[in-house]
Amino acid sequence: MRKKHVLSLLLLTTGVALLVAATTVAAAGSATSRPGTVASTKAHKGGVLRIDQSSTDFDTVDPGLAYVTNDWAMLYTTQMLLVNFPEKNGQAGSELYPEAATSFPTVSNSGLTYTFHIRPGLKFSDGSPVTAAAYQRAWERNLSPKMGSPYGVNDQFQKVIAGGEAFLAGKTQHISGITAKGLTLTFHLTHPNPTFVSYLSMQWFGAVKPNMPYTTTGENVYPSAGPYYIASRDPGKTLVLKRNPYYKGNRPANPDEIVFTSNTNQDQSLLETKAGQTDMDMSQVPPTAAATLGTPNAPGGQFHVGPTACVIYALLNTARAPTNSLAVRKALNWGIDRPALLRLLGKYAGQRTDQILVPGIPGYKPYKIYAWNGANATKAKQIGGSALTNAPALNVIHSTSPAGVSGAQQMEFNLKQMGLKYNDVPTPGTVYYNTIETKGTSYNIARAGWCADYFDPFDYINVLLDGRSIQANNNTDMSYLNAPALNKQMDAAAALSGKARAEAYASLDLTVMKDYAPWVPYEIESARFYTSKRVGNWIYSTYFGEPDFNALTVG
Amino acid sequence: MGYFLIRRIFWAIFLFFVATIVTYLIFFVIPSDPAKLIAGRNANAQDVARVARFYHLNIPVWQQYWIFLWNLIHKGSLGTSYITRQSVRWMIGQDAPVTASLVFGGAVFWLSLSIPIGILSALRPRSLMDRASMTFVLIGISAHPVWIGLILSFAIGYKLHLTPIAGYCNFFTGNAGASCSGPIQWAYHMILPWIVFMILFAALYVRLIRANVMETMSEDYVRTARAKGASERRVMIQHVLRNSMLPIVTILGMDIGLALGGAIFTEQIFNLPGLGRQIIQSYSVFDLPVIAGVICFATMAVIVFNFIVDVAYAFLDPRIRLT
Repeated sequence: MRKKHVLSLLLLTTGVALLVAATTVAAAGSATSRPGTVASTKAHKGGVLRIDQSSTDFDTVDPGLAYVTNDWAMLYTTQMLLVNFPEKNGQAGSELYPEAATSFPTVSNSGLTYTFHIRPGLKFSDGSPVTAAAYQRAWERNLSPKMGSPYGVNDQFQKVIAGGEAFLAGKTQHISGITAKGLTLTFHLTHPNPTFVSYLSMQWFGAVKPNMPYTTTGENVYPSAGPYYIASRDPGKTLVLKRNPYYKGNRPANPDEIVFTSNTNQDQSLLETKAGQTDMDMSQVPPTAAATLGTPNAPGGQFHVGPTACVIYALLNTARAPTNSLAVRKALNWGIDRPALLRLLGKYAGQRTDQILVPGIPGYKPYKIYAWNGANATKAKQIGGSALTNAPALNVIHSTSPAGVSGAQQMEFNLKQMGLKYNDVPTPGTVYYNTIETKGTSYNIARAGWCADYFDPFDYINVLLDGRSIQANNNTDMSYLNAPALNKQMDAAAALSGKARAEAYASLDLTVMKDYAPWVPYEIESARFYTSKRVGNWIYSTYFGEPDFNALTVG
Repeated sequence: MGYFLIRRIFWAIFLFFVATIVTYLIFFVIPSDPAKLIAGRNANAQDVARVARFYHLNIPVWQQYWIFLWNLIHKGSLGTSYITRQSVRWMIGQDAPVTASLVFGGAVFWLSLSIPIGILSALRPRSLMDRASMTFVLIGISAHPVWIGLILSFAIGYKLHLTPIAGYCNFFTGNAGASCSGPIQWAYHMILPWIVFMILFAALYVRLIRANVMETMSEDYVRTARAKGASERRVMIQHVLRNSMLPIVTILGMDIGLALGGAIFTEQIFNLPGLGRQIIQSYSVFDLPVIAGVICFATMAVIVFNFIVDVAYAFLDPRIRLT
């Protein structure tokens, strides 16, 4: 019997030995500098900034194809745009300035020709000069059929620039409406468009090498003209930015390197940040952790909260009873509990709102015309009157995500308080938007959100509420509001510029919610970040909902 | 033996085709239009049609399947991701080594622990060791890997600073984007994932080995061997272990094959960029080519490992060759 023991003990010893070996490796690994741990450095400029990106990766880092906000926040550090947003906090960070252009463009009297002059001496990260052709190529890559990019086409840019449609159809080699001669770039538009300069702040239109290829798969590593360039990318895993050695502009380029690690776990990223093994998670902190991270935006603090350009709302289908009744829609704006919906998203998730526009957008003037401090069922019943008491059951559609389910449950509770009946319609996330974007959809209430593509009120009000855009599928006017008088007002506002434009949109913002109430807006989303102790110079961009990574310091 | 191998190979090919067809059918019946999803907001009918043409989504599903199969056989291509536009084969090639690191490393850990404990428990049923191993089994089976992973990374990684909290390092050095690499860093980052992966499987294997050893020890041929005067060592190695390990080899092959398809929970918790995490990400954005690619890979892994087990089994047990 003893030998049996020896045999088994031998095997057991092997197992234990393996565990001991593992522990030894741990000690060795730990002794040879913990890989994730960032070495401390006193220098303000320099060092490696390590950023996690939980549960997602950059879809693509090719500026001709990228569209998602995280793509753009990263590309902001590598791109040189004709006009750009400065690295400044608050409202100042939302005001465009000429970056590669010597000044804002000269516009012809007809409003159809925009001429830019490019600053001399600008260079790509490979040392080659930036000329007007770099911007011409950016536009052509965005619209080229050889790229297969849907996004510029979705924004209908081919209709904005003369010759855009022919180029998209593959009939011409170049867009005839864009002329590049040395450092002079001229755009010929099909019709006057006061939003055009705002379009140019999108990352699609940054300088690219004039020979940057057309590719359906997108380029991962390429020379760029901004403060940084992409030194390497391992899709799904890491992306490394390095300082552009030829950059001569005024934008900050504080860390030597910025390393993004994608598809991390949000909870683990927070632990790693606390332990100094990473510097922050650009996918924010877990909602449940926000209450435990201290006071936001304290001087020298690690917890940062900032507003985004995203508005979250309950859509009301104006094409279907009972939400086709203005009285019912107004009643819902009184009866739905905004603070309760916010509380579901964790502390500091956002600010309450009952309007379309968000702070920072020209034309934003705060107002409070509906229930702000919680549901007011009495007022809702009074406003809704017989339309509410006789209303058929409402279809409350929601995605099956935890946030979708809890939001719908809260709204359904409020409907019950108002004496309304409802049908709960859970829908998988993969088909949720397909369902509500289809004309004739049977929903009455649905949750949605919108973030600006460019910082202009047109991108909220006209894009989301112009009834003339309603088509069979893929609608952005998902409340199916089509009011001719309102459409006319939108056209008039869109034709204006400067202060008059801002005032017209401020008035439209109020008119939409007061006279049409197609939504129950309830949240201006905030972004919540926790940084490691060594991160400084926090400059936050409302446009991207992210800090300006190139401005952050480490050490 | 030759006939046996040919039969097994044909069966493996058939299984592979069935798995790919089922994958395609599942995504065909889900009421979602990838072209609409890719085309994005504000796309009109022409835009959606343009995207559909670009990705061959405008043709019947059986033709899509045929193109997929043709590209797979002729070019070894699994298509291109709708979202990242990267080659799916390349993506799987990047992710598979990470999952393999987890699975094979974890298998070494769980076998190293479960074989000695299982045998000791079988030799001394109801002893302290047996009862302790039963407790371990209950914990291992009851506790979810997510919970175990979070607790371990919090306690060992965050509080004690003995291991990284999460993350992965490549085994081979030289990746420009990697913040760390090399065998030591690789193993250092994999310790906690291996332990988590080990706990569930080791628990199951301890019980399996214990039961098999106990059953084999009561066989007539073991009694005969002892009666013939064979040493205990010889009885254990030649007669008990050799026979009781046969089912373990089968289960091991299947478990490794299945786990290669994606150790989803462990990869998620420890930020391991493997196949499990890839498939979760791809599902959330309905990236059908990647989902189909990972399923194909997982199917291949299960089939290959089953095939290896079958062949090994046929060598070990002549009766199998004859059936």
